[in-house]
Amino acid sequence: MSKNRIFRTLTSLLGQMGLLAGALLISAPSLYMLSASFMNSNEIFSTRLQLLPEALNWSNYLEVFARFNFWLYLNNSLWVTGAVVLLNLLFTPMVGYSLAKFNYPGKNVLLLFILATVMVPFTAILIPLFLIVRNLGWINSYPGLVMPFAMSAFGVFLMRQFMLSVPDDYIDAGRIDGASEGRIYFQIVLPLIQPALITLAIVVFVANWDEFLWMLVVTTGDALRTLPVGLAKFREQYQTRFELMMAGSVVAAAPVVLLFLALQRRFLQGIAGLSGLK
Amino acid sequence: MVAQPTAADIRSQRRQGLFGNTLEARKRRFGLFFALPAFLFFGMFYVYPLFQTFYVSLFSWSLIDEPSFLGTANYTRLFADKEFLNAIWVSFLYAFGVVIPIWGIALGLALIFNRSFRGRQAYLTVYYIPAVISLTVWSLIWLLLYNPSFGLFSVVMRGLGIGGLRMLDDPSTAMLALILLSIWKGTPVYMLIFLAGLRAIPSDYYEAAEIDGARSWQSLLLITLPLLRPVFLYVMVISLIEAFKVFTPMYLLTSGGPGSATRVLSMFIFQNGFQYLKMGYASAASVIFLLILLLLALLQFRLLRFQQVD
Repeated sequence: MSKNRIFRTLTSLLGQMGLLAGALLISAPSLYMLSASFMNSNEIFSTRLQLLPEALNWSNYLEVFARFNFWLYLNNSLWVTGAVVLLNLLFTPMVGYSLAKFNYPGKNVLLLFILATVMVPFTAILIPLFLIVRNLGWINSYPGLVMPFAMSAFGVFLMRQFMLSVPDDYIDAGRIDGASEGRIYFQIVLPLIQPALITLAIVVFVANWDEFLWMLVVTTGDALRTLPVGLAKFREQYQTRFELMMAGSVVAAAPVVLLFLALQRRFLQGIAGLSGLK
Repeated sequence: MVAQPTAADIRSQRRQGLFGNTLEARKRRFGLFFALPAFLFFGMFYVYPLFQTFYVSLFSWSLIDEPSFLGTANYTRLFADKEFLNAIWVSFLYAFGVVIPIWGIALGLALIFNRSFRGRQAYLTVYYIPAVISLTVWSLIWLLLYNPSFGLFSVVMRGLGIGGLRMLDDPSTAMLALILLSIWKGTPVYMLIFLAGLRAIPSDYYEAAEIDGARSWQSLLLITLPLLRPVFLYVMVISLIEAFKVFTPMYLLTSGGPGSATRVLSMFIFQNGFQYLKMGYASAASVIFLLILLLLALLQFRLLRFQQVD
C-alpha cells in the first residue's frame, strides 16, 4: 500500500515537472518579448544568453509613444475593432435568431452562402473586395476598414447555435401576450442569450484586433493604420531597433492578453463553442 | 407533367405564405426582415467578389489603365509560370507541415488536460497564451528569436552545439522556421477543441469499460478515439483551411524568400496584385487557389461521409 502511494506521488511529481517544463517552453517567446521590451540595445544585441534586462528600463515604451505614431495606431485599433464588435453585436444575433427560429424562402441559400464563406480564403476575394471598397470611395477611411467585417460567418453560426437553445415556449408566450416580434426579440430573446453575446464580443474582438492583410491593403498613409500594420511598417523602417519593436509589440498584444486573463472561462468557452460543441 | 404543377403549387403557397395577415405569414416576413442584413452583407462582400474574381481574371488590368480582355490567357500563363507552381507546392508543404504536428500535439495535450490534477486550470491558461497573442506580434517576436547573431533561438542552439544557424536566410531552413512558429501559435486552439470533444464523451462508457477490465490504453483506443472522430474531422478541415490562408508571418519574416522558398499562394497573389499591379493575373491565381481549397474540402467531406457509414 505505502509502496503504491510512493509510486503515485512520484508519478504526479514527474507529471507536474513535465507540465511546468512545457509551460515554460510554451510561454518562452511571449516572456522573452516582455523581457526584451525592457532591455537596452546592448543587452538585446548581446550574443551571449541574456534572458532578463539588468534593470527595468521603461525608456523603450516612452520612446515608442513619443517618437512614433503608436498612440495613433492604438487609437485606430480601438476605434476600428470597437466599431466591428458593435456592428457584429447588432447584426449577427438578428441573423442567428432568424436562421434558428423562422422559415422563409431563401433561408437555405443564405445558410449555404454563410457556410461557404468559412472556406473562402480572404486572399481569394482580396482584389474584388478592394475594387468594391475603392468604388465606394472607402479607401483610407473608417468605413473601408470596418464594413467588410461588420458580420462574420462564425459569428452567425455561433449565434444560431445559441438561439436554437432558446425555448420556443418563451417566444410563443410573448406572441400570445400580444408582443410584437421586434419586442419579443429585444425584450425576451436577447436578455436570454446575454452570456452568448459576451462570448461573441470576445471572439470578434480577438479576430479583428489581429486583422493584418486587409488593413495593409486599404490604408495608404499613417493616419488610419492600426497597430499590426503600424508595427509592420515600423519594422520596415527601423530594422535594428528590436527593443522598440518589442515595446510596441507588448502594447499591441496587451489588450487581448489582458482580456483573456480577465475572462478566461468565457473566453475558452467561446473558442470551444465555435466548434459547435458545448 | 404531374411534377411541374406541384412544384409551382408549392412555390405559390410559399409566396402566399409571405404575404397576407396570418401569424405564419407575419413570422416569415419578420424572419426575412431580420436576415436581410446578412443577405446584403454576404452578397456584397463575399458572393459578389467571388464572381468578380473570376471576371477580373479574364482581363489584363493594372488598376490605372483600362482593362483589356484576354480570355483565358492569364490561366495558360499561370500554369507555365514556375513561380506559381512553386507557390502551390510551397503552400502544400507549409500547410501539411503545420497541421500534421498540430493534430498530434493538440490531441496529446487535450488528453492530458482531460484528467484532473493540481493546477490544471492555471496550466491550461498558460498553455493557451500563444493563441491570444496577435499574429503580427508573434511573428515579430520570432523575427528577433531567429536573428543569427543575438536571437534567443540562435543563441540557445549555439549553446547546444548547432552554430551558424541562419534560419530565415537559408532556403533550406526558412520554411521550417515558419512552420515551427505556426505550430507553436496554432496548437492551443485545437487543443481546446479536442478538449471540448473529450469532455462531451459520457463518463459511463469509461466506467463500464473499467468494470469489464479494460486497461487505460484500451479505453483510449477503443472508446476515446472512435468517439472523437467527428471532432477530429472538424479540426482537420478547419486547420487545413487556416494553414492555406497564411500570410502575415511570410510577409513579416521572409517576404516569400529567400528566393521563393516561402512564397505561399497568399503571398503570390498579394505581390502580383498589389505590388506588381497585375490585377487580372492575381485574380486568376485566386480562382485556382479557391478551387484547390474547394477540392480539399470536398475530399475531407467525402472522408467524413465515408467514415460515418462504417
